[in-house]
Amino acid sequence: MADGWDDEELLAALGEAVKARQAVPEWFVETGKNAYAWHNIDAELAQLTYDSDSDADRGVAAAVRSEAASIRALTFTSARLSIELEVASDSLVGQIIPAQAGTLEVHTTGGVTSSPMDEIGCFAVTPIPASPFRLRCRTEDGTDVLTGWITL
Amino acid sequence: MRDDPTVVALVNRAARGDPAGWNEIVERYAPLVWAICTRFQLSNHDREDVGQNVWLLLVEQLGKLREPAALPGWLATTTHRECLRVVTAARKSERQGTRLDDAPQFADNTMIDEEILMAERNAALRTALAELPPRCQRLLAMLISDPPCSYAEISATLQIPVGSIGPQRARCLERLRKSSALAGLGDPDVRWAKGEKHG
Repeated sequence: MADGWDDEELLAALGEAVKARQAVPEWFVETGKNAYAWHNIDAELAQLTYDSDSDADRGVAAAVRSEAASIRALTFTSARLSIELEVASDSLVGQIIPAQAGTLEVHTTGGVTSSPMDEIGCFAVTPIPASPFRLRCRTEDGTDVLTGWITL
Repeated sequence: MRDDPTVVALVNRAARGDPAGWNEIVERYAPLVWAICTRFQLSNHDREDVGQNVWLLLVEQLGKLREPAALPGWLATTTHRECLRVVTAARKSERQGTRLDDAPQFADNTMIDEEILMAERNAALRTALAELPPRCQRLLAMLISDPPCSYAEISATLQIPVGSIGPQRARCLERLRKSSALAGLGDPDVRWAKGEKHG
């Protein structure tokens, strides 16, 4: 293809290519590189199966948007357990089902924090983590479940 | 669209656990993701949000991409979708009642196709440039700088006589043109913005 270009065209195309790369700030490239830390995480993935905020789940009746006070509810499901999550104004409250004790990890692109889940699998995260984040639940019987990336 | 062996090799390396392969993918295609964010006029904060999501999604898809050669298309489509998500969320919170249908510029497939082609062409050109001898890279960098450098400046900086800049420019561009990175770039049917009259 480049065979068909004369010197001026080739130089102009080259200038455009270099400019397109120079326009991208380094932090943006670094963000992309850092994502690789998530390669091959050995946990079962839980899919988002319900979101009260999605048009499909909200139903036709809710075409008129409810007021801001409403609490957003999300459900993530995997073969071994599901995670019920509610987004309050300043915290996340949730429970794993079947109810059991374990450890909850909140993963953000900046790092990981962990906290215990009580004997009925309840947990609270305050404040709401920066988006995007994902939750990883490990229970005493060795179950290890990770949600997809959540953006609120 | 061409089946770029470079892209396939990079995807396979990254899927096998080679971080250098992943970094090259990001270096190559971050400009594509960025350009789409620019078209949506996103703030830096939203760009970070979109960028993070796009690359995180790709990490999870690495071993599953049925056609690694289609990576640029996957990235463009995913970035586009993420930009729409951010824009929709912003509008919802502003409660302006504006519908996305009012903004047809956000949903133009031709535009996405052009962005993919441009990204592949630009990536190939940058790779080809990086493979040239250092003196050619320096000369071409000065020739494409914005604002352009005068021959006097180039002569002073690179310590070559003004009279030999022209011939060296021609030789360097010829090497660039013959670079394997540019071989088979694009379908002959594709009408490049700059190469149209040769199509």
